[in-house]
Amino acid sequence: MEEQDLRFVIVGHVDHGKSTLIGRLLYDTGSLPEDKYQSIKEAVEALGREFKFAYLMDHLEEERSKEATIDTAQTFFKSKKRRYTIIDAPGHVEFVKNMITGASQAEAALLIVDVSQGVQEQTRRHAYILSMLGIEQVIVVLNKMDLVNYSQKKFVEVRTQVSDFLKSIGITPSLFIPISAVEGDFVAKKTDNLSWYDGLTILEGLDTFKKKVVPIGKPLRLPIQDIYDFDGEKIAVGQVVSGSIRKGDKIIILSDRKEVTIESLKEFGKNPIEAYAGKSIGFTISDSIQLRRGQIISHQKDLPNVTTSFKGHLFWMDDKPYEKGESITFKCATQETQCNLIIEKVFDSSTLEVMSKGEGKIENRQVANVTIKTSAPVVIENFNYIPELGRFVLVRKDCCAGGIITG
Amino acid sequence: MDYLDRLENESIYIIREAYNKYEKLGMLWSAGKDSTTLIHLTRKAFLGRVPIPVIYIDTYFHFQEMYDFRDKCVKMWDLNLIISNNKDAVKKGITPKDKLACCTARKTEALKQTIEEYGFEALLLGIRRDEHGIRAKERFFSPRDRNFRWNYQDQPPELWEQYKTRKEEGQHLRVHPLLSWTEIDVWKYIQRENLPVNPMYFARNGKRYRSLGCEPCTQSVKGNAGTIDDVIKEIEESKVGERSGRAQDKEEAYAMQKLRALGYM
Amino acid sequence: MVVVLAVDALEYDKIEEFNCVNMKQTVYGKTDISEFKEPRTIVLWSSFMTGENKEKEVLAKGNRGMWNIRIPLSETFFSKFADPKVIDLPAYSYNLAQHEKERDLLKQFFKEDDQEKKKKIRSEYNQIAIQHHNKIKKEFLKSLKQDFDFILGYISVIDVIGHLNFGNKFLMQMLYDDLEKIVEQIKNIRDEPLLILSDHGMKAIGIFGEHSNYGYWSYNKGCDLENPKITEFYSFLTTI
Repeated sequence: MEEQDLRFVIVGHVDHGKSTLIGRLLYDTGSLPEDKYQSIKEAVEALGREFKFAYLMDHLEEERSKEATIDTAQTFFKSKKRRYTIIDAPGHVEFVKNMITGASQAEAALLIVDVSQGVQEQTRRHAYILSMLGIEQVIVVLNKMDLVNYSQKKFVEVRTQVSDFLKSIGITPSLFIPISAVEGDFVAKKTDNLSWYDGLTILEGLDTFKKKVVPIGKPLRLPIQDIYDFDGEKIAVGQVVSGSIRKGDKIIILSDRKEVTIESLKEFGKNPIEAYAGKSIGFTISDSIQLRRGQIISHQKDLPNVTTSFKGHLFWMDDKPYEKGESITFKCATQETQCNLIIEKVFDSSTLEVMSKGEGKIENRQVANVTIKTSAPVVIENFNYIPELGRFVLVRKDCCAGGIITG
Repeated sequence: MDYLDRLENESIYIIREAYNKYEKLGMLWSAGKDSTTLIHLTRKAFLGRVPIPVIYIDTYFHFQEMYDFRDKCVKMWDLNLIISNNKDAVKKGITPKDKLACCTARKTEALKQTIEEYGFEALLLGIRRDEHGIRAKERFFSPRDRNFRWNYQDQPPELWEQYKTRKEEGQHLRVHPLLSWTEIDVWKYIQRENLPVNPMYFARNGKRYRSLGCEPCTQSVKGNAGTIDDVIKEIEESKVGERSGRAQDKEEAYAMQKLRALGYM
Repeated sequence: MVVVLAVDALEYDKIEEFNCVNMKQTVYGKTDISEFKEPRTIVLWSSFMTGENKEKEVLAKGNRGMWNIRIPLSETFFSKFADPKVIDLPAYSYNLAQHEKERDLLKQFFKEDDQEKKKKIRSEYNQIAIQHHNKIKKEFLKSLKQDFDFILGYISVIDVIGHLNFGNKFLMQMLYDDLEKIVEQIKNIRDEPLLILSDHGMKAIGIFGEHSNYGYWSYNKGCDLENPKITEFYSFLTTI
């Protein structure tokens, strides 16, 4: 068994069967809390009734959505290969903020589509968000095959529809799996109902997802998080987001472009000479230059972009729209400054229909292509190259938008 | 970098974020395995120091071994310990006979008083997402109001490593550096880092504790795990929740009270 | 013939939530039991059958004694019928041994600290409650085919199971479903005036359940009852 769990999100239109699928996964992998299941089973037997599986799942979801004091919703289960964590992602349109938060923590996604209904509003919106967040590992689940008599023709038809749509937003799913979560077909076990399908079950499909690899081969980027003054020694700390840093390296501090030498790397209980991407490290420099939070460390070669104007693509998720001219806080890694947006194109996050070009407003759940003008220079990267410096949030009191840098 | 390293580095990053944003930062420490791991991570974040006060909520009903373990750690790590208790509750003689009232008075109220007394703006807590259903909805940085209420349905978005660090008047932030860890991860990390743990986690006479609390209200579980390896193996095979000894306590106490009032008992 | 289905702890909100159309009948609503200090089972059924608030008298018997109360036929409205049949009603024809056994297991459950043993107790508790329910159900449906002019069947399972499982919604829904089926069977056997009535409802404390402070009633014909008190059914049922 792999040591680390894989975190994935299940997204899709409301009522397309997300909770039933979660329930079914938990049930078929033996992850439901035993006592509760036991009392239900006993009562079913005593009353001489059939086990209504669909009921149970509704209740599970409801308890999850309430502040359930009952120990129900373990969103953890395991396959033979590894443990999984399902990240909560509600399907209702009002909860799109929560969906984005969930998806931003995920390494992979299942996109669930009711085969009797095909692509719907939240299917499109959620898929679009996945693509924007750069979640590349996606499996499409065509649920409720029982409602279409397990028709292969219907499966192929909807698969084509979903596939065409996903292609248009740059997602290539690794698999399309027909299932019935209610009946348990091809969730954890293969059944005769879908005898024409010789592919993987969901559980097998999940096992094909790969863990994220930390980018070591890329140039050094180390955003300074804080400066500590311990016993008269000034130690800068931060997490290396890409590349590696060595003791004695000549480094450039951006955006000031000062060159200094790394005198020592600091880690508790160790005396490291090198730190790779992913590491939260401390360091001291040979000069008496004042370091501060928000500076980015790089090597002389492969310098990142330092600019006050760049293009981005953002998802607005606040009730109060962005209006032309508003100064708003821009945060990227540990950098924080004010910015203004020049709105180029605004579109609906579900239909992708263009709402306006160059007008002055971005409303809740709209997506926009913008040019961001910052009041101080920032160090950025294209999202596809170094995501940690290619993604940003815009903040008023709370986070109002998340986005990626496209150029 | 293996997966424990990844978890460790994520936690250190979060601890440093909280420290950067808040001067009045504290940490809750129960002397249990999770919050002790949190102290260790804090020492890593600050290169061997624990520069923030560590709050121990003392109900006066903890196991003696918890107090012993606590005092040992305080000495070893030179911790700035704040003991939080609700003297009123003691004076009023609120005891675990009424579990609900006791928990509220001796834990929740005690912490409220300490937060007010010291003016804490943010607290580090060692909670994990896998502990309990509702915790799956927790964020790394989560605002609570004066009465500790948490509006989990309308939380601000938390994207990537951009946390909600701003707090409103009257709120304090709960910061959860261990949110992504599982019970097994914590044990593996304790083993790897050779951290001290309370001996109550290991079996004596066929029983051990999976989660520690007050003596009258914490139950042991059956088990023979005598080493960390055994503990990990036992958890991997178990289907019973970690907090099964504790989760329903409050409701149970209240239900019992009600049934008594209705003449059932 | 007048038929009463007396269901302990039948909850108005659950009837709505599960949309139990059979139990809603023609008119339905909450009963007003606010005159009582606590929604106690024995107090409420005693008051129902006598048409008087019996809280004081019942409480005088103490928490232990009250469960053994037997109100004589002559003090109840059942005596207004020529040939009444009242099955298992608390404070009247209640199966003392059965219900004492249930309360005893309930006590044991809360006393027990060992989780494994607790599970076993809960399981036994649920089992005996359902077995008793099946027995009562049978007796009640059988009586409907006989020539009584008044039949009351008392269903305790919702209350008994509810106290330890109310938060297990799936289980509760299954029991409500079972009651829906019973009402359907009653209708199929004969179309008579049918009152469905509870003493009080129930609300959740985590997985457990406690009494809510209103009851439920429904009737299969039009009538002018509105937010009735439990004592009002005395005259209502004797003037049909």
